[in-house]
Amino acid sequence: MLEILNITKRFHTLVAVDNLTLDVPQGEVLGVLGPNGAGKTTLFKLIVGFLKPDRGLIRSREGAWPTIGYKPERLLYPNHLRVHEYLNMVAAISNLPRGRIKKAVSESLERVDLTYAANKRIKECSKGMRQRLGLAQAMIGDPQLFLLDEPSNGLDPEGQAEICRQIDNLHQEGKTIVLASHQLQEVTQVCTHLVIMNQGSIHYENQMKAALAERPHTRILVNRDLSTLQSLLMHLHHDIELSDREIVLNYDAIALRPNVLRILLSNGYDIIRIEQSRVTLAEIYAAAVQ
Amino acid sequence: MNQRILAVSAYLFRSFLFSLAGLLYILLALAYYMVLFDPRQLTPDPDYYILVLGLLGLGLSFLVTLSIAARANNASHFPLIVRLPSRIEYLTAVFFSSILFASIIQFVIALIALVANGPNLDFREYLLIPPFWISGNVLFAVLSLHATDLVTAGWSRVYVFATIGLLLYLQSGLDVLSDWLSNLFNQFGNTLLATGLDALATLAFDMANLFSEGSSSALGSALSLVFWPFKAIVEAAINGHFTPLQALAPAFLMTYAALLFVLAAKFFSKKDLFLSE
Repeated sequence: MLEILNITKRFHTLVAVDNLTLDVPQGEVLGVLGPNGAGKTTLFKLIVGFLKPDRGLIRSREGAWPTIGYKPERLLYPNHLRVHEYLNMVAAISNLPRGRIKKAVSESLERVDLTYAANKRIKECSKGMRQRLGLAQAMIGDPQLFLLDEPSNGLDPEGQAEICRQIDNLHQEGKTIVLASHQLQEVTQVCTHLVIMNQGSIHYENQMKAALAERPHTRILVNRDLSTLQSLLMHLHHDIELSDREIVLNYDAIALRPNVLRILLSNGYDIIRIEQSRVTLAEIYAAAVQ
Repeated sequence: MNQRILAVSAYLFRSFLFSLAGLLYILLALAYYMVLFDPRQLTPDPDYYILVLGLLGLGLSFLVTLSIAARANNASHFPLIVRLPSRIEYLTAVFFSSILFASIIQFVIALIALVANGPNLDFREYLLIPPFWISGNVLFAVLSLHATDLVTAGWSRVYVFATIGLLLYLQSGLDVLSDWLSNLFNQFGNTLLATGLDALATLAFDMANLFSEGSSSALGSALSLVFWPFKAIVEAAINGHFTPLQALAPAFLMTYAALLFVLAAKFFSKKDLFLSE
């Protein structure tokens, strides 16, 4: 949907975004991870046009610039307004015909389960309600692109699950979503593509499925110390790792699992646990930001 | 576009009206009325009525625009701005809401002043009021935009107001400046003559003569033209009618306002938006 080409943004001496090139795929959910100060929010502000890049450009693949629903990181609203008044205004500036505004507002409130709070003043809303209001305002007018900056920040597990459900629903409807988050579980659950930023540039980029399929391994936990078998096992394959009571078979070494088990059993070891797993997002993240 | 600008204008207008600052401006305008149009005193002259209430409009337009632009420069409006196809629509909404607020207060105060011991204005004087007040309000509201954090980009407000200040200074002190420059070139010419550089000395004396012409010089004429609309409007208000030439003055002010608005729009659309949190 969007092409971000060699974009750089400096604030005096600080390079917030450094020669970043990124493709925002149409109809997908792109998760943007990174530590605080990595440049995620700056990237969002560049996409929505609040900041002007010093170098590079952002363009739409479709030609016309997409309509955008933006949920900023900070939950700042005109607090004196009621929830429905605020959404009415957002609807009015989203080019909705006057006759459709009321319906669009009630639909968006329904989607985020906030109908009961329609007449509440925003200043009286809880943090969870304000997060959902942020999502509701982003949904109004059926935008093509959603930019959600930490939408579940500060929510309880139930609230986080609800936000994930909403993002998933939008994805099912074919919307393009860019999600910045620190919640790795949330990103794993809803994102189809993954980008990890650090110090203004992209350190890792992949499809989520491919990322999580990386580095498959089998862990075998035994009942006692493996030092006596160390040389024997290590010589089987270079992708075998040993620690006190654990053997890790990486990549091609996984195929040697029957041989390893046979060796262990014949040497009187008891097998306590066998785990077949792949790399976690936390491990990918840690490696990328190091 | 109209619907979007109207929606944002209505929101800014309403939130300002029900704010402490909005109330303060209403009270300020009432105090202005009480001091300058005290019903217990003599009935004011028509020119006094038109000029003093015109000044109220100018002041209110400037201050209200500063206040509304400061409120508009808040991060809670990020989701609204992102919906607008152009930032200039947002700036237009700030301008509309400000001018509307200031003009309504001015109109209400004018009505009160007219009903309670107001002057008897004839039809020509009534016709004089809208172009005078509206053009002035519009110009001062647009000028005020340049003073706000919302619009200013880098040193832009310094450049804009320094230019206006310089023009004002030159206009008021042109004679003094011309005399000073004329003396300077005369002394320089004498020095050159003493050293035998006759050709250069003649050039310096020519320059001294040029500056000694003072306000009748090209610079003086140009500066007089720049500030002529203000002078023309005041004169028209005092005389109680516009001459055909003076009738062009509000149009000149609107042209200035349009140019300044285009400049403000340029600054606002090119800058990085750092709304306050």
